[in-house]
Amino acid sequence: MIPEVSYALNKVLTAVARRHAMKPALSDEDLAGHTLSEPERAALKAGNIDALYRLGANPYLIRRVFRANFKI
Amino acid sequence: MAEIVAAALTSHAPLITGRPDIGKPEQRERLYAGFHELGRRLAAARPELIVMFVNDHLQNFPYSNLPAFCVGLADEYDAPSAGGGKFMRLPPRKLRGDRAWATALLEAGLDAGFDFAYSYEIESWDELSVPLHFLTPDGVVPVLPIYTNCAAPPLPRLRRCHAMGGFVGDFIRAHPARRRVALVASGGISHWVGTPDTGRINPEWDHHVLDHIARADLEPLLGLTHEDIERDGGNGGQEIRNWIALLGAVPGWKGEALAYEPVAEWITGCATVWVHA
Repeated sequence: MIPEVSYALNKVLTAVARRHAMKPALSDEDLAGHTLSEPERAALKAGNIDALYRLGANPYLIRRVFRANFKI
Repeated sequence: MAEIVAAALTSHAPLITGRPDIGKPEQRERLYAGFHELGRRLAAARPELIVMFVNDHLQNFPYSNLPAFCVGLADEYDAPSAGGGKFMRLPPRKLRGDRAWATALLEAGLDAGFDFAYSYEIESWDELSVPLHFLTPDGVVPVLPIYTNCAAPPLPRLRRCHAMGGFVGDFIRAHPARRRVALVASGGISHWVGTPDTGRINPEWDHHVLDHIARADLEPLLGLTHEDIERDGGNGGQEIRNWIALLGAVPGWKGEALAYEPVAEWITGCATVWVHA
């Protein structure tokens, strides 16, 4: 079973990752121009790594951008 | 004719070089010793080209364009770039590519039914930068990277990866140039990255993989599904596709594990394996 994929989430995270930026949470500026659902937007702005995974963000991108939010 | 003079499998993880301080000293030293021994053997084989079986971590291939297999046609590769080097604590450096060989491989693939994508610009992350930091510290041997999608499912099947590697091996051995070619694959073994299980490692599965490679008994590994690997090896375990591809290039060769350490602090079951006839 292939996990659910959110293209919108991965597009935002790819853009941030390509700037080699690591953040605890994304800002409105980071999200400007992206079409996101409310849960997706909330998870990005909270840096909620578990929610992002459930919503279909690629785990490598979650790790790259929100590294500081992981316990290990 | 060209010949395959060396083959090696390694893990990769940015923390191997990025945070050596957090690893247990004895584990770190055993693993580093494995890398250094691989580097010594590789140097002794005097390769003139290193074909690398590796995978992207979505820094090059985004969800708008995700090739199953991609050949690097760049003149040089950032391994790492200045930005990536900050995380791996490696100085930025450029590694020379080999466009002529890569293009020939691409063309031969099209004839043989392997329709590789190709890229003129690839920024390496840990897949090239970390193993080559140990294996070719002087960075003078050109590299020809072959990227397999191991990170964004659906992924190419292991049997197909093995066949792709088989094609690459045949291509090298049939090449009319007298050239000494080494193969290096990086990735795996078990690790969970960015998932709710981040940090988990499964040494039992890692030994299972290593044992089959030690015996050149690949059939049970070729039958693994995406779900099998996700369950036992984690999303990072999907990177064994790179190892399987390399092993396809050298049928019957066996893997001698020089080091295996499940390094919790680096969230990876880390190995270095010398592959020989």
